[in-house]
Amino acid sequence: MMMSWYRIYALILRHSYPLRRDFDLLNEMLYWPIIDTITWGFTSVWMTQNQNDTRAVVFGILFALVLWNIIWRSQSEVSRNLMDEVWNANLVNLFSTPIKISEWVISVLIQSVVKMCITSGAVIGTIFLLYTLNMFTLGWWVLPFFLNAMISGWSIGFVSAGIVMRFGPKVQSIIWSLPGIFFPLCAVYFPLAQLPEQVQRVSALLPPTYIFETMRSLVYTGTTPKYFMFICAVLNICYIFLAIWFFVRSFAYSKKRNLARFN
Amino acid sequence: MSHILTVEKLTQIYPARRKQKEFCALNGISFSMNEGEILGLLGPNGAGKSTTISLLLGVLTPTSGVITVFGKNFFTHRSDILQSMTFASTYVRMPWRLTVLENLRVYALLYKVPKKIFMERAEELLTLFGVWEQRNKTIGGLSAGQITRLMLAKAFIPRPRIVLLDEPTASLDPDISHEVRRFVLDQQKKYGLSILYTSHNMDEVTEVCNRVVFLQHGNIIAIDTPQKLARSISIDRVRLVVATPTELKHLRAYCAQKKYRFRLKGRTVTIDIHEDHIPALLREIHAVGMLYTQIEIDKPDLEEYFLHMAKKKKQ
Repeated sequence: MMMSWYRIYALILRHSYPLRRDFDLLNEMLYWPIIDTITWGFTSVWMTQNQNDTRAVVFGILFALVLWNIIWRSQSEVSRNLMDEVWNANLVNLFSTPIKISEWVISVLIQSVVKMCITSGAVIGTIFLLYTLNMFTLGWWVLPFFLNAMISGWSIGFVSAGIVMRFGPKVQSIIWSLPGIFFPLCAVYFPLAQLPEQVQRVSALLPPTYIFETMRSLVYTGTTPKYFMFICAVLNICYIFLAIWFFVRSFAYSKKRNLARFN
Repeated sequence: MSHILTVEKLTQIYPARRKQKEFCALNGISFSMNEGEILGLLGPNGAGKSTTISLLLGVLTPTSGVITVFGKNFFTHRSDILQSMTFASTYVRMPWRLTVLENLRVYALLYKVPKKIFMERAEELLTLFGVWEQRNKTIGGLSAGQITRLMLAKAFIPRPRIVLLDEPTASLDPDISHEVRRFVLDQQKKYGLSILYTSHNMDEVTEVCNRVVFLQHGNIIAIDTPQKLARSISIDRVRLVVATPTELKHLRAYCAQKKYRFRLKGRTVTIDIHEDHIPALLREIHAVGMLYTQIEIDKPDLEEYFLHMAKKKKQ
């Protein structure tokens, strides 16, 4: 059977055209592979340098996974809540009711707390059942870790939702890609010292960095640099207010361009 | 009659973007809606209807102008006003993973409708619109026409004082469209509801609307009753089919003498004439003994007005 190259070319062309303007496709091709390479590269280098207490390393990584999931889920809850209305062509319906933007924000935060409790409960339970590692052996420290991780996630979520409100649904992939940048920058699975010094300065401005550093210190050395959690809380409070302010401003800006453009 | 909604000098200019120039969607329009009135919003595509509706719903902030509803400024009392002003459109959807009743319950709650009252009204309206059987189906499993009817139920369950209906009968079968029109008129009479109504079906607008605002290029070019708008560009047409060539000759001469505008096609004579003059014309034809075998009287309609205005726009 003869194949026609022009038909094959036509199909290649059909999938090449969007590459020029579709951020989602570039994301899949470049962004995530690079983020994964950087994160797991640093983690691997650190692990090869520290092979003393394997159980502590595993515990540290699993705890980091739980905390990262809290950040990720909290962020996703905020932005996905908004995108769900966009995907359902329901945004005009919703915001043509008496609802206020402040009420929408509060409802999202309540949903996020409930879902975060379910998610982290399930993950912590799974880790305990499969690996007999109990997160709660760390005592009360677990709560500020969880709380700070959740607020960090909300900040990222409101910023990404604000960006979508401002620039429209064509930039919706920011919702999935923005948290990714925090993955290596906040030194989720490896100590902050592994990162280049210049990058560490940027990391110092991000609250999750302090969460993961404190957690590792607690797991590996049994000590807790309390001022780290204080800095983290102060930064988180500042950022969450800034993020909500940015989202509300972006929502107002979007109303100047018509919310109906999201339908 | 008091004004329930007033729009003053409303202007919407969309700012320039990379490849698009600044666009003026509404150019300082002013109109008002009386209490208990059904006001039609008409105009060709791009005239500014959707922009007006978006502004009235508060999902678009105007460049300038004032909207007053129930005597309150819309921009400072948005939430209060929307408590009594609802909206239904064929072009928006609802969360597709929720069932019909779940969706309606969420919206009823946003308008503070108690559960018991909600259930009574939902059953009444969904039954009337023929979608009660689908109440436990998710939206994803409904047809476009069923979703349109669901949107109408959503808009009427809170018993609002004003409803904005954006093409409420688009995508509906003629019998259901008829039901919806009857329902809208019934609600207006029963509750003194004020309704802003857009539609591309001119017969529907004529049947339902008390007055019509005609928009073009972001300007209001006319506000009047559908009948008066139609008469503003055309008059009645009397079409007579005569029996013989002799009768045709007589009728032609008669029209020329009376200076009526007329057209001939075979044995058919079409005379443009004002409605008030038709009885006199028929009397005179009868008096001079002219015979015709068929007569038809065409009244000017809103569609003619619409087409005339749309043609003018292209010119």
